[in-house]
Amino acid sequence: MTLPAAPTATASPAAAPRAPEPSQRAGTGGDLRRAACQVLLGNWTGSSTVPSHQLYPHQWSWDSAFIAIGLRHLSPVRAQQEVETLLAAQWGDGRVPHIVFNRAVPLDAYFPSPDFWRSSSAGAAAGAPRTTETSGVVQPPVHALAAWLVHSADPDTSARRGFLARVYPRLVAWHRYLADHRDLGGHGLAAVVHPWEPGMDNSPCWDGPLARVEPAAAGSFRRADLVHGSAADRPTDLDYRRYVRLAAEYRDHGYRDAEAPHSFAVEDPGFNALFIAAEYALARIAEALGGEAEPHRQRAAALTEALVERLWSPEAGQFLCRDLRAASGGRAARDGQGGRLVAERSAAGLLPLVAPQLPRPIVRTLLRTVSGEHYGLGTAVRLLPSYDLRGAAFDRHRYWRGPAWFNVNWLLERGLRRHGEEARADALAAEVLHAAAASGFAEYLDPYTGQGRGARGFSWTAALALDLLARDAAGPKPAAAEAPPAASGPAPRIPAPAPVPASEKGP
Amino acid sequence: MFKTACQEQLLPGETLQHKWEFAQEAGYDGIELRGKGDFHFRDRLPELRRAKADGVVMPTVCVDMLHFFAAFDSDLRRDALAQLTSQLSVIAELGGVGAQTPASYGMFSRRLPPFTPPRSAEQDRDVLLDGLTRLGEHARAEGVTLFLEPLNRYEDHMVNRLEQAAELIRTVGLDSVRIGIDSYHMNIEEADPPAAILAAAPYIGHAQVSDSNRYQPGAGHLDWSAWLGALDSAGYDGYLAVECRLAPEAEPAEALASIPPFLAARAGGTVR
Repeated sequence: MTLPAAPTATASPAAAPRAPEPSQRAGTGGDLRRAACQVLLGNWTGSSTVPSHQLYPHQWSWDSAFIAIGLRHLSPVRAQQEVETLLAAQWGDGRVPHIVFNRAVPLDAYFPSPDFWRSSSAGAAAGAPRTTETSGVVQPPVHALAAWLVHSADPDTSARRGFLARVYPRLVAWHRYLADHRDLGGHGLAAVVHPWEPGMDNSPCWDGPLARVEPAAAGSFRRADLVHGSAADRPTDLDYRRYVRLAAEYRDHGYRDAEAPHSFAVEDPGFNALFIAAEYALARIAEALGGEAEPHRQRAAALTEALVERLWSPEAGQFLCRDLRAASGGRAARDGQGGRLVAERSAAGLLPLVAPQLPRPIVRTLLRTVSGEHYGLGTAVRLLPSYDLRGAAFDRHRYWRGPAWFNVNWLLERGLRRHGEEARADALAAEVLHAAAASGFAEYLDPYTGQGRGARGFSWTAALALDLLARDAAGPKPAAAEAPPAASGPAPRIPAPAPVPASEKGP
Repeated sequence: MFKTACQEQLLPGETLQHKWEFAQEAGYDGIELRGKGDFHFRDRLPELRRAKADGVVMPTVCVDMLHFFAAFDSDLRRDALAQLTSQLSVIAELGGVGAQTPASYGMFSRRLPPFTPPRSAEQDRDVLLDGLTRLGEHARAEGVTLFLEPLNRYEDHMVNRLEQAAELIRTVGLDSVRIGIDSYHMNIEEADPPAAILAAAPYIGHAQVSDSNRYQPGAGHLDWSAWLGALDSAGYDGYLAVECRLAPEAEPAEALASIPPFLAARAGGTVR
């Protein structure tokens, strides 16, 4: 036992060690997991997660769903809260707004801001929340799928908190809104009324439908996205003026779908594919709650049938968007379905691979298209680009006009696995993880070089990497959680229940 | 990958060897010792040496006294420094990693009468920096670490949050002084405990665990998945030392045995 030496009066200042940046740490699976957790913990605001503190400082609808899918591996409670806080901003008519604004963030941090949307006043007749400001448009309905996956990660905590019982009626109302208010084509699919709604804001698919929209006056608003994003990567000013015109028109009609002119109305295969997957997830949730699953399965089957009927293009070998406001003429002929198909190939047209009851011939064609000349997955590029590599509008850097996105690739990975393409799914998952690590969890990537673009430390990139890592750790792949395996017949039918992998099984 | 330890007074058994048998059976990787005053801990050396020889793993000691190195009274302060200095030497001899102490405990709270402490904040700081420097130098010489534990506002008025401890440690400038975090105190003091862990990541040297109600992990409402996920993301791979009371309705042995599997499940595979 020794007594201490006399203390030195001035100790030398130790160099303060710092936690490494995510991109520096993401070498191995464990490091990648830690780096992804750092992103999600850092972007947590207390009740939800921002996609990125700089570029997107509020809560986004489909972002929150994808974030929850990853967050469930870090904190099931937070993942449940992520879904709950989004659904707490649901409107009386059932719509789930695409942005829930954080009142603590300055108005000029994001455009269009709450004073543009004016949801609590302009949206009052549609049942907008009185005390929370939101946008008035929606995003793809991936929430029921997220809710089911979140529940499955920790059924005990979910049951203790009454998670499913609380979110189920809201999810049902959300789907009912899409079915009742958004079937603008009248044939069973949900239409989007703004390019921000399908999530792929700046896709060349919207160029045609958008061209008919009178742009808002130049200088009538100030974009905030260019403060943090490069102008060369973001939508053009002219497109932005059209976005603003459409949103203002919707707002000025009280966000009431029956009254709004909806000069932009498109049936998007990605949006509807996620609607289908979510409807199957609702069936699982209903079952877990002891309710009726069959109506959900029937709606999913009907949606699948309508999707094939209205949006499948045998010539393109993929699904296409249908422009409901298009007159006759143009490159694609009228087909008696109302409007016409948009002759642009977007990755959204491959996302129906997540729909479990897709006719097998269509699945086979889609699987070929994924690796064909237009998308080049596994040959020209390592991750699925958002748009046709050979398309006239292809731009490897500009928002949704070519770059690869992590949520799209996560969905494709799921689709490949669902249809038995395990090796291709494994390869894609490995590429997604590699790209997430190498880019510091970028918002999106140059599909050729893999170079990161847009925000870094992007929440859904980190979340979906975490989800793929967890699948690796868990062993068996959980693709068929919310629905039975693909049918082999040509026509979509009402599916029978099928076994659920233990990892995602409900109570 | 975390390891788990259990404080000795919680474990059943008359001797450390018996306690260790139980602890291993329950899934613990070590025993956290408690260091009483009057050089009681030093006087236990024969017992501790025998335990070590018998394979008992004792990585840390937590000070178990009623006065501490930042006491208002200079005699008490001197004694606390002497006790802790001795405890650092003992834990070093046992091959452990360090000793944990708060600045004070039960001495003063700004939330309780008379609300204003008898010493200024500047004087508090001088005392803290002096004590941490002396103890840190000694710890460095012994090859171990002093862990400074922030306590909640009702138990200590000087160091309540991780950022306060980190700031002191940066000023002291010794790698041999780190933060000993405690989930229970953090739940009261930190706005976002996982975010606080990440912010203080480079300075965290030890972790004690108990739930929101001071009972065993799992008995309260802490978000353990997020807390442990943050600790893992912070690069921490040391011990999670159980310092808690056991919920009154719990059967003690069962409650103790429930903790390692509970923490492992919540940590998603990052607890050994």
